[in-house]
Amino acid sequence: MEIHSNDFKARAREALANPNLQKALKLVQVKFVPGRAAAAAEFGDFEALRDAGRDIRNRALENLDLWLERFEQEAIRRGARVHWARDAAEANAIIVGIAQANGVKKVVKSKSMVSEECGLNDALEAAGVTPVETDLGEYILQINDHEPPSHIVAPVIHKTRDEVSDLFHAKHGKPRTEDIGALCREAREILRPHFLSADMGISGANFLVAETGSTVIVTNEGNGRLCTTVPRIHVALTGIEKVVPTLEDLSVLLRLLPRSATGQPITNYVSMNTGVAGSGDSDGPEQFHIVLLDNGRSRVLGSELKEMLRCIRCGACMNHCPVYQAVGGHAYGWVYPGPMGSVLTPSYAGMEHAHELPHTATGCGQCSAVCPVRIPLPELMRKEREMQVEAGLRPWQERLSLKLWGWSASQSWLYGIGTAIAARFLKRLGGADKLIHRLPLGGGWTDGRDFPAPAGKTFRELYRARKNLH
Amino acid sequence: MRVALFVTCLADLMRPNVAFAALKLLKLAGCTVEVPETQTCCGQPAYNSGDRATALTLARKVIDEFEGYEYVVLPSGSCAGMIRAHYEELCKDDPALLARAKKLAACTYELTDFLVNVAKLESVPGDFAGSITYHDSCSGLRELGIKQQPRQLLGKMGQVEIKEMSEAETCCGFGGTFSLKFGDISTKLADNKCENACATGADAIVGGDLGCLLNIEGRLRRKGDRKTQVLHVAEVLAGKLD
Amino acid sequence: MSSRDLILSRIRASIGRGAPADGAVLAPHLAARTRGPAPGGAWRDSREGLLQRFTERATALASTVERVPSWAEVPAAAAAYLIARELPTRAVCWPSLADQAWAGAGLQVEARPSRGDDLVGITSTFCAVADTGTLMLLSGADTHAATSLLPETHIAVVPVERVVPLMEDGFALLRAEKGEAPRAVNFVSGPSRTADIEQTVTLGAHGPYRVHLILVG
Repeated sequence: MEIHSNDFKARAREALANPNLQKALKLVQVKFVPGRAAAAAEFGDFEALRDAGRDIRNRALENLDLWLERFEQEAIRRGARVHWARDAAEANAIIVGIAQANGVKKVVKSKSMVSEECGLNDALEAAGVTPVETDLGEYILQINDHEPPSHIVAPVIHKTRDEVSDLFHAKHGKPRTEDIGALCREAREILRPHFLSADMGISGANFLVAETGSTVIVTNEGNGRLCTTVPRIHVALTGIEKVVPTLEDLSVLLRLLPRSATGQPITNYVSMNTGVAGSGDSDGPEQFHIVLLDNGRSRVLGSELKEMLRCIRCGACMNHCPVYQAVGGHAYGWVYPGPMGSVLTPSYAGMEHAHELPHTATGCGQCSAVCPVRIPLPELMRKEREMQVEAGLRPWQERLSLKLWGWSASQSWLYGIGTAIAARFLKRLGGADKLIHRLPLGGGWTDGRDFPAPAGKTFRELYRARKNLH
Repeated sequence: MRVALFVTCLADLMRPNVAFAALKLLKLAGCTVEVPETQTCCGQPAYNSGDRATALTLARKVIDEFEGYEYVVLPSGSCAGMIRAHYEELCKDDPALLARAKKLAACTYELTDFLVNVAKLESVPGDFAGSITYHDSCSGLRELGIKQQPRQLLGKMGQVEIKEMSEAETCCGFGGTFSLKFGDISTKLADNKCENACATGADAIVGGDLGCLLNIEGRLRRKGDRKTQVLHVAEVLAGKLD
Repeated sequence: MSSRDLILSRIRASIGRGAPADGAVLAPHLAARTRGPAPGGAWRDSREGLLQRFTERATALASTVERVPSWAEVPAAAAAYLIARELPTRAVCWPSLADQAWAGAGLQVEARPSRGDDLVGITSTFCAVADTGTLMLLSGADTHAATSLLPETHIAVVPVERVVPLMEDGFALLRAEKGEAPRAVNFVSGPSRTADIEQTVTLGAHGPYRVHLILVG
């Protein structure tokens, strides 16, 4: 997928000025935030569950090579074919290759962020294979000129019902309806024949179970089940970090994921696919391919950001992020928005393509407070900022001012003089109403806010004067 | 109790009264308070910006200046959080410094937390009369668990009514340098905070971190609200200062 | 070097492992099958508690639930459900349910895989998870996966003795009775749904619009 993360500022500005988007984003706060809170409270000791989730993911990552080998061995034993892709291009080539070798003309897809990461649809189309997105949200995006998703769980959260009504009316040529149930039925009726006529289904995998060699997807719509049941070939594309050891470990993560994502105790469907059909089993694909993507993950594993690989893609961090709530997912400019994206995008797509992202958070810590596997997201973003400083990637003005400020703060006498001057200067700027309307070099602040002026003397001065008095 | 007051650089420059108020409250709580003269900043801006070297220089200086006191108290959840929650990571490569940092962290407190849980202050002298709404600053809340402490202290004041705002725990958009780098997003978040706060009809918005308060007040004033007071909790609790 | 070997070697380098290691180190964790935290409560302690929890949870997820004393009553219950909602009385069922007296209850039921235009699908279940009100369906020659998926109405017959407390208990039963997982294990918790448009929950996205559960025993 094309990356626009360095345009974050401009995109965020557009987002703030877009009334439809602002209306749509309200729902993040209204639906997801209380949903997660209620589900966590209802569970009982949700904190213990989060601890267990963190430990399970850590255990998987500590021996990731061995769990993957075990996974592969079991998957092959059961008749699946396992492919390894070092990057997006290789993953696309593998999947296009499978399609071409089997004369596949049409593919039905269930929602897969990894396939977005790879830009798989473009690769399929270039090879003459038609991909049909079947998740309602992804379908809406696909018929809207291949718009990218803005949320990893709810890809069209940025759209209002009105916009969907207009789009369906324009693309389906049916009478315009604003009834959400009717819109869903319209999509269902258009997509059902695609499921029945497609040669291949592509899904992601929320988890890979090493014990059994299974892929697991969690869905609500049932399109994931259709994609993995009806066509004669099933391809599951996912990241190498998604492996978990046992079915017991899986059970814990399946308690965490939907509660954290949408507040559901379980998704409608949890589908575990293992190998190909046995004798007599009339449904299910004849071929089952599993594509394991690296694309930067093995590098992250050895970096200070390795905790990010625990992520189970619930979206809670973005749902609870005040910045995401304000600007939505498109501002982040790639597949993964919000705090998890601010960590992942520079890692997967290259820091030079996403150097703004680690700075796009206030550090409020709400994301890590809700993360089901306790990823310290603000800390990881801070580490990325350190990496940028070490690599000399920050603008010289910023580096210089930090160094100057740091140097003066380490020279107490100099600092005292500097702040005394600043206090007087700022007081003067404040004038009679003690408010600075325009701060030199501080337009970022005063474009939207006044800056309350100080009293004119520093505490240090006043305290010294008072001590001398006594 | 021998307490060192860490004024914080924002209070030093922008609102000395916050530090004087803290001083008054600590003395009332029976503490012997000292204000180490050479203190400047805890290093948080550099740390958050990724300038580890600068942050480490300042952390070393803070440790030099403040170790040896029984307690270190700060009128800021964010700066207290820096020492308590982040110095360990910052100093991890220097075992000797790390040991000192951990020791310092263990005796460092945010002001209201200290007054309630350590000094067990019984009554407060503040004479504010009216309604207030309390903004929970992020670092204090999520790094140090500052939630009930300020409310408990404000509750000791007879004529204060606390009107809770919705989303009291949501960030006001300050975020240190974030407020400058992403001014329009920061302003939007400040707007949400002001709306929620003003919806309570409270006379004053009170909080424990000057950064948030400057941000909230700045947005309020820009929108033309000259009436709603924006106060640091220490100022409210301490009342008149000599 | 193949991509497989390259990726595995990069992983090893990242976790500080010089050379391929023996997978035997995984054996203790695989054997231990340690369970994590799960919802507790008195409901886990008795058969009726399990059934009550199952019914509550399934109902909360928009399934309907009824209970009949024995298999003999199942066809009539299914028929009554369909007729009361003015739904078609023609259905497909799992071959494992072919012997039930459907015709006697006025239903036209064919035991074959669903083709996509069937409106009612009747299945049983491998077991059911009380905790979440969930069916655990296994694919197989006599238990087609599509029967619970393609039709607009899904009726599932759940023997009460097959209701287990937790998902882990379902997996334990799978290991004990089947040895290993079949091609597809589907956990189904109510009718298919979507909330993609304005986060408004709508039933019947791509799968069934309604799920009716008949507890037997």
